[in-house]
Amino acid sequence: MKTQRTIEEINEKIRRGEATVVTAEEMTEIVKSRGVEVAARDVDVVTTGTFGAMCSSGVFLNFGHSDPPIKIENLTLNGVEAYHGNAAVDAYLGATKMHPEKKFEYGGGHVIEDLVSGKEVELIATAYGTDCYPRRSVNTTITLDDLNQAILCNPRNAYQRYHAATNGRDELIYTYMGKLLPQYGNATYSGAGELNPLTNDPDYETIGVGTRIFLGGGIGYVTGSGTQHDPGAGFGTLMVQGDLKKMSPRFLRGGSFTNYGTTLYVGIGIPIPILNEGLARKTGISDSEIKTSLLDYGVPRRNRPILKDTDYAELKSGKITLKDRTIPVAALSSLKLAREVASTLKRWIEEKRFLLTQPQERLPSTGSLKPMKISRETLFAQNIMLPAVTCRAEEDIDTVAKRIVEKNVNHVVVVTSTGTLCGIVTSFDITRAVALKETKLANVMTHQVVTSSPDEPVESCARKMKKHDISALPVIDAEKNILGIVTSERISTLFGEYR
Amino acid sequence: MKARLKFDKQRTAEPIISTVVLKTKALINILKAEVDESAGEVLIEVPDDKAESTIAAFKQEGVAVQVGGFIEISRQRCIDCGHCITLCPVQAISAEEDLTVKIDQDRCINCGACVDCCPTRAISMLQ
Repeated sequence: MKTQRTIEEINEKIRRGEATVVTAEEMTEIVKSRGVEVAARDVDVVTTGTFGAMCSSGVFLNFGHSDPPIKIENLTLNGVEAYHGNAAVDAYLGATKMHPEKKFEYGGGHVIEDLVSGKEVELIATAYGTDCYPRRSVNTTITLDDLNQAILCNPRNAYQRYHAATNGRDELIYTYMGKLLPQYGNATYSGAGELNPLTNDPDYETIGVGTRIFLGGGIGYVTGSGTQHDPGAGFGTLMVQGDLKKMSPRFLRGGSFTNYGTTLYVGIGIPIPILNEGLARKTGISDSEIKTSLLDYGVPRRNRPILKDTDYAELKSGKITLKDRTIPVAALSSLKLAREVASTLKRWIEEKRFLLTQPQERLPSTGSLKPMKISRETLFAQNIMLPAVTCRAEEDIDTVAKRIVEKNVNHVVVVTSTGTLCGIVTSFDITRAVALKETKLANVMTHQVVTSSPDEPVESCARKMKKHDISALPVIDAEKNILGIVTSERISTLFGEYR
Repeated sequence: MKARLKFDKQRTAEPIISTVVLKTKALINILKAEVDESAGEVLIEVPDDKAESTIAAFKQEGVAVQVGGFIEISRQRCIDCGHCITLCPVQAISAEEDLTVKIDQDRCINCGACVDCCPTRAISMLQ
């Protein structure tokens, strides 16, 4: 007979201490070794877990009223600005808001970790003063216990799966996917694979509005699908909330991504009731069945090139093959803590401290993501590049100097006999050559050239020039053919005209 | 064995390493060197059989010697994500069976590549 059970029947078994609870990793083994039918018959609940950087996290706080009272206009907590567009003493502190003097090191996520650790937090508020709330400023210290409410409220958490990232540029980059070495030197990924909550309920049959969950070491609830919920592409997300006062710093950690920003690491665990064989089969999913793509984060565009298809089994192995190379890959999330989340939730259920809930509404299972509507045209290198003035490495300094004057440029691109890039020479290099009585161009030109691709956004070109302290980027195609040149003069003229 | 040498201001111009090499005949490999007007710091590798005599020789020259323990991972802050493993140029960082991240101090060359990649700032370089 096919197994069918209800959430109420499972809760009854939990109350009697008779429910069989396993983690999603254990379920994968059970389904593999004993089959779906037996797994459905023997297992009542599968616990999932994930522990990763979830930038869309934050906390609603209520401080209570001071005497005389204040209607807060601007607010910082340990120097981190909290959003105050709510009632007089309410605020929302977002995980990614950074301390202005400790950028990338300390931000909203760290303040949340400090609060949940019981530490004192400095609160500085100012106000314009009203007839009913005359106070103009407050400078005090608070702890989590002093607050009326502290509600962790995260509009987008627990991605079903995520892309893996690597970097095809010639330079090291710092991204929200971590520190990526040049020329595909390493790769990163996020998510717990077969332990991930939504991965085990891909059709959102049991996870819905009102589902009780493990959140940050305490109890939380799913309040709906998250922002950027993209079920069509298999990238579902959740909006969750829970009482921060009952959470633990073990499962809520401030995070720092150098040159990108701060965030909050959140531990989330969701129980999946095994109502039927279909859910037993779905929770039996293994890492090799969870597909994702390796993207080139070296390309600063919304749609980053897919370098290859991969799966969580390959990602978790620590090595990923890319063409003829093997590169090291690691997670930015923690599988070890994801396991701890799933096993803690399992223990809570076994100890009858956690009962399952019936979702009040299903999450949308169709629909896709829209890109941002941009009303003003975006500029790319190909839109602003100028024709490059070129020379050959064998030419002598005098000839190149004359060309610089004749064409009225500051940069001359050095090309090979087939017209591909091999260096760059600036008017300063020529001046230096004259001063040093150097006659060979090859001795004064730059051989390692920082370049741009034609579809690189202008902002990205400007960042590159600033980073390398240079004033031009030859624009090249994949075969290193010269397409043009982007110069800082050109960018300043362009932006000067805009204003 | 790897060791970190700290030279004070007055000694940075002197050929101390050469002096020690001639004296001990140890084949010293310089892994990293930072010298400016205020001080000098050099990371060296010495064959194990010459370790003791080399350290003694440097100390005799008035150089401060630190052996091992250059990088520290705070177990309290580390979440064992493993990002640092992919950035270490000498494979000094690895994950144990239970996924705990650990560092092999003997392999570490004190380059610091792992420090700014750590999302929970669990890694520090000992000064």
